[in-house]
Amino acid sequence: MLRTGLYVLGGVLLGLAIHLVVILILPSFASNSVTARLRSLASLDKVSLIPPVPPGAPNPLRLDPELDYAVCRLDLRAGPGEVEGTLPLAFWSVGVYDMSGTAIYSTTNRDGIGQTLDLGIFDPGQTRLLAEQKIDVDAGLLIVEAKTDDVFVVVRLAPPQPAMKERYAAALSKLTCRNLKT
Amino acid sequence: MRFLVNLMLMLVVALAIGFGLSWYALDDGRLFGAAQIGPWTAWPRAGSPTPDPYTRAYLARSGMLQLGQGEGIQFVAATDSDGQPLNRACRYRIDGNTPTATFWTLVPTAADGSSIARPDGPPGFESGRIARASDGSVQLYISRSLAPLNWLEISGEGPFELVLTLYDSTMFTSANAGEASLPAINREAC
Repeated sequence: MLRTGLYVLGGVLLGLAIHLVVILILPSFASNSVTARLRSLASLDKVSLIPPVPPGAPNPLRLDPELDYAVCRLDLRAGPGEVEGTLPLAFWSVGVYDMSGTAIYSTTNRDGIGQTLDLGIFDPGQTRLLAEQKIDVDAGLLIVEAKTDDVFVVVRLAPPQPAMKERYAAALSKLTCRNLKT
Repeated sequence: MRFLVNLMLMLVVALAIGFGLSWYALDDGRLFGAAQIGPWTAWPRAGSPTPDPYTRAYLARSGMLQLGQGEGIQFVAATDSDGQPLNRACRYRIDGNTPTATFWTLVPTAADGSSIARPDGPPGFESGRIARASDGSVQLYISRSLAPLNWLEISGEGPFELVLTLYDSTMFTSANAGEASLPAINREAC
């Protein structure tokens, strides 16, 4: 009986080890990762609208049907990234994601940015050059440091009325996404 | 022979605990990083630059484009306030107050995230476009059949989920750690 109990205890400990391994390796093996989907939607240095999900159609990214979405991909090896433009006077937010799908930075226009979005994304080396004033940037640029060189920027815009969705999406598509010249 | 039986027992226990606990952690999640307020569940660290391993695994499993921490937070309810699974055959009344946020949306979805609202109608409720009581509280109805006040018509059969997204919310920030009020989901008729 004692021996059986020890085997059960061993099973419990082994089970906990399996649990930890499953939790830790799951992100590496997930087939429906958000970055794979964003990669298929986003272009390098170009703002792309994420198509609205029709009623009843699967919504794997779990997008809010009330909002318009735009995404762009930046490779910081070519220089610091910048996303800028003017958006309608409505709620909007911007999120920067790394290739693991982690939201490394986010903010909204209620934080005081108003209608103008001017976001600069720098890798650690570029941030150091920025601190040493070896990179010139415009005043008012919102500076974000990314630990990796490949990032996605997602902008969410909330039209006040559904009838304004297309017009707001058009405004979203006019944002520019590019590498800064250094 | 006894050794083999014990070995099998150990493996069964290990696999049951290993995979069962993992499934529970990512499905329910209450003990592993998810926050539950009534029937509503959220993963507060989903939008963090440094999510914990459970939140990271949850995001990988769901494949969702989560809101960043500075953008807001999303709650999902798959049951009503009495713990009964949400069913499209029933009428639900959602009433109460929502936490401080610039605005919020409430969208009924199927398990795959697809909207189950009437295809030619609004996809959900938006906080700026609803009638409120004088104290600011909301009373929303979700059903296939006609309902009073703020009504969202849904379609189809089977279970569904309610997704409440609070944009620019201060919930779960240190300044509002104690704030934990979300609307109740009451089943009225089936």
